[in-house]
Amino acid sequence: MRFALTSLVLALSMSSGAIAQESNAGPAVLNTALVPGVMTRAVDDFIRPGYHRFHETAGSLKTNMEALCATPSATSVDAARDAFNDTIDAWSRIEIVRVGPVIEDNRFERVLFFPDRKSTGLKQVQAALAKPDDSVTQMATLKDKSVAMQGIGALEFVLFGTGHEVLADNQGGDQGAYRCRYGAAIAANLERLGGELSAAWDAPDGVQAAWEKPGLDNPLFRDEKEAANALLGILVHAAETIRDQRLESFYKGDAKKALPRQAIYWRSGNTFRSIAGNLEGVRDLMKASGMVELLDDDSRSTVSSIDFVARALLRVVNDIRPNVEEALADPAETAKLDFLLLNSRDLILRLNNDLGGGIGLAAGFSFSDGD
Amino acid sequence: MIGSGLIDRRSFIRAAGLAFLAGLAPRSAFALSRADAVYASGLRRADGRFAIGLVSETGELIDEIALPGRVHGLCHSKTTGLSVAFARRPGTFAVVFDSQSRIEPRIIHAPDERHYFGHGAFSPDGRLFYASENDFAANRGMIGIYDTRADFARIGEIPAHGIGTHDMTVTADGAMLVIANGGIETHPDFGRTKLNLDHMEPSLVLADAKTGALIEKHSLPPELSRLSTRHLDIAADGRIWFACQYEGPRTDRPPLLGHFNKGETLSLVQLPDSTTDRLGNYIGAIAVNRREGLVGIASPKNGLWAVLDGRDGRLLSETILADAAGIAASPKSFAVSSYRGDFLGTHTAVAFDQHITRL
Repeated sequence: MRFALTSLVLALSMSSGAIAQESNAGPAVLNTALVPGVMTRAVDDFIRPGYHRFHETAGSLKTNMEALCATPSATSVDAARDAFNDTIDAWSRIEIVRVGPVIEDNRFERVLFFPDRKSTGLKQVQAALAKPDDSVTQMATLKDKSVAMQGIGALEFVLFGTGHEVLADNQGGDQGAYRCRYGAAIAANLERLGGELSAAWDAPDGVQAAWEKPGLDNPLFRDEKEAANALLGILVHAAETIRDQRLESFYKGDAKKALPRQAIYWRSGNTFRSIAGNLEGVRDLMKASGMVELLDDDSRSTVSSIDFVARALLRVVNDIRPNVEEALADPAETAKLDFLLLNSRDLILRLNNDLGGGIGLAAGFSFSDGD
Repeated sequence: MIGSGLIDRRSFIRAAGLAFLAGLAPRSAFALSRADAVYASGLRRADGRFAIGLVSETGELIDEIALPGRVHGLCHSKTTGLSVAFARRPGTFAVVFDSQSRIEPRIIHAPDERHYFGHGAFSPDGRLFYASENDFAANRGMIGIYDTRADFARIGEIPAHGIGTHDMTVTADGAMLVIANGGIETHPDFGRTKLNLDHMEPSLVLADAKTGALIEKHSLPPELSRLSTRHLDIAADGRIWFACQYEGPRTDRPPLLGHFNKGETLSLVQLPDSTTDRLGNYIGAIAVNRREGLVGIASPKNGLWAVLDGRDGRLLSETILADAAGIAASPKSFAVSSYRGDFLGTHTAVAFDQHITRL
């Protein structure tokens, strides 16, 4: 396995060299006429469907949590957990969008409060479970509490954290019922947030219109360059987040210094499922938007090269043992993590430099901010 | 004594090696040494690696100092000849270098629970340098204090009296720190995501350099709460010029810069609408040419740099330059760089980063 991974790394770095030569041909110029079409597809074929799917899976999660509360059993716990995993799938794809309505009113942190380095959120969730409080079992009152208590991370602890066994206890018991009602309130809150996000992007005269029609009267983008910058920014920031916040948060290349409990969703074994969702999001957005059209004919291989790197990452992410602690104890698995660290960096550079430069944005350098 | 041009030229050519010389035109190989460097700027090389570039008075790239990552702002001490380049936020390193090669470049690190915001300044005597830092757990800007004569040890810190601290400088007498608090909350766990555009708190602060005590704090009026006060420079008469980046609707045309002196209220400069539009509601860098009494601003958004009269902020000239990045005083006007490799009209196959310092 180690040999196979090394070979792939070598093959990728060789293709990177080829691209660097291509991009030396001269600075590309943004094809502004095509930008509105690309932005429209990004919104209609990626962002809106992405929030719709999150909204739907959160709705199903709420239904399953309510069913669990009504008839506690090992089977209904499994069903709720399946719905939880589906919600992580859906969220992980659309969470790469860290602009627009999701960063208003702290919606992003309400859906996902991560990382929780000092366990602030964890302590709040544990406290809520330890001392019954009706205000956390109602979505209407939960939504006004700490953002760390009302999202996916909190629900993960309810379903998988210490003491979760009480959920399946059909002998009743206030403890299980209370824990379940708190979980159902979180699911309802996620559905509410999914609904708000979908509605914000679906409204024809809101953020959707601003994204699709850059112009002098547009409150977000006065021209096509600003719009294209924002779209590329989603891709680059997504790749940066995967590496800096989702991989390096628990593994920086030395298994002895690894922090498995800093990995996202480690309790539910969804760490790599989430990273895979992020990578699928990057691929989907690139493909759905048709950004390739913004490239000259002779540099269009940039997109297929990026997709090749993303698929290589996905193949390895999907192949890692889901239990982070176990994965870190096995050299064959940490070799895969090393591969992810190396090639996620390559993904960032390709998106920022090759794609950014190729479509004519600031030579791919400071595309989104002078700071 | 140490900085004689001849010695530097020899040591530079020896240090730079044949590979570098082969890449220069024959005339340049003999004409340029580090002693000729007048400006320094962060840059990204064609191979994607980052470096500090040393640049001549005509914009020719003389030499590069390799870096572990991307840097943002730089500061220089005329007294000691040392310079510091700060990692781009939320970076945690800064590079101390000497354009005259008398010391090896060295890297210093932000302490735990702090990261650099990308700017800093030396005290006039060169003994201290100050770095704008984020105390991200407490969500407040801090100014880290480092002793240049004690191995660059971090000997203390004082509050920046605001959040989202960005640029800072020191008054000519060394008595006050001038601090631009951009007002935007960020946290390294969330990368460069802006966390509080709903309730920004931009401000400009004068603080006692010794005690950190707040001397003056100028907040922007509520209708301009989304005007992030980011960059600064000080004129010969002590007037502080600041430049902003607007986070509100693109259809607004806010004032993008202003000035004040100690004891005064802020004076905001409303540029002509066409200039505000060309700047894209965004100034990425500002510099004062003290001798000529000019203020220069640059924006990469739509690619423009402009010169203003330092007495009243009147617009004197504007120049279109795609991806305009850094700006620093030149003998008569300003040296301006671009992400595309332009520097004072000379083109090099690198991407110059957002700031230039004059050495």
